[in-house]
Amino acid sequence: MNEVLQTCMGMLGAVGFAVLFHVKGKKLIVAAVGGGLSWIVYLVVLERYGDKALGLLASTVTVGLLAEILARVMKTPVTILLVPMLIPLIPGSDLYYTTSYLVRGQTEECARSLDLVIREAGAIAFGIILVTCMVQVVLQLANRLKTVKIG
Amino acid sequence: MMQSEFIRIMTAVMDVGEMMLTSGAEVNRVEDTLNRMLQAYGCVRVDVFTITSSIVVTARTADGESFTQTRRIQDYVTDMYKIERCNALSRKICKSALPAEELQKEVEGIRKEKSYPGWVRLLAYGGISAVFSVFFGGTFGDGAAALLCGLLLFGAIELCNKLKLQRIILTILCSAIVGLGAVLLTGIGLGNSVDKIIIGNIMLLIPGISLTTSVRDMISGDTISGLLGLCEAVIRALAIAVGFALVLWGFPG
Repeated sequence: MNEVLQTCMGMLGAVGFAVLFHVKGKKLIVAAVGGGLSWIVYLVVLERYGDKALGLLASTVTVGLLAEILARVMKTPVTILLVPMLIPLIPGSDLYYTTSYLVRGQTEECARSLDLVIREAGAIAFGIILVTCMVQVVLQLANRLKTVKIG
Repeated sequence: MMQSEFIRIMTAVMDVGEMMLTSGAEVNRVEDTLNRMLQAYGCVRVDVFTITSSIVVTARTADGESFTQTRRIQDYVTDMYKIERCNALSRKICKSALPAEELQKEVEGIRKEKSYPGWVRLLAYGGISAVFSVFFGGTFGDGAAALLCGLLLFGAIELCNKLKLQRIILTILCSAIVGLGAVLLTGIGLGNSVDKIIIGNIMLLIPGISLTTSVRDMISGDTISGLLGLCEAVIRALAIAVGFALVLWGFPG
């Protein structure tokens, strides 16, 4: 039940940020669906493997592929769809605790928390790049196949 | 093509690049777009160098003349709609190059495009704060308190922008105001966890997106942009920490 509530909140949050980023029309619905999906995939992977970074990576790759496909269908840059979808994954809470430990002088907790944030941001970034590369390879292969057939 | 006309075209193209970068487009998208647009106007060689704070372009026309323009990029406001419009304009130009006059008109059109009105943004601030407070484990009471703090935060940011305060000072002030709001609201019994209330608001302040983008820039080879972005993100996170430190000193525990 808790997870359902959290996913709904993630969807709303994604739409909220999409509005702040001046995303309009049908793309707001895409942001909601993607935001929800990203959080569900994260929760499932986290439940199964117990690793936050791995969960973020799997989740980013999933919504990354979704964004790439939808961007081609809707003829719009990928970022516009992808950034709102990733909002629930942004490690805002852990970043807050890092700064909070820093202020309270709890150096050890701060270091541990900082390490976690870096791995989380790294996992998301790596996921985005992974998808970009996959798409490029697939498109090039498709292009080559097309020219072979025509030739 | 007349030299003066080419300069006008190049200026308009630079405007497109500047708008994309300030609106939050990735560095390599900006470089790619500028390249394509100038080539569509018959340049035989285009060298674009973009980092998060600057664009440098040298274009050589078919007559063998070289032109260089640079732009300094100061502040960013994420605006996906502008990125989308710039992208569409660049596609249009690659199909058939518009004359200088029309290109300038199109660019002005995108720049003046109306975004969401203030009250929608105000609601978004409140809504996002409430939603993420609950998302990160707060109660509904915390959510309600976060909503109020979110509205307060919007007012504070608007005011600081009107006063043209420096970014760091703005961040310190705003996080202090949010922290103070959270402490006072829990004091009068709305919400019970100061941490959870602040976390809801923090999503609006914290450089989570620029942190992710800069790591992404670095992995994909734009090391300088990545480092600049990372430094900015770290400084902003520290400014937020300072803001909370002010409140924590005033209200220990």
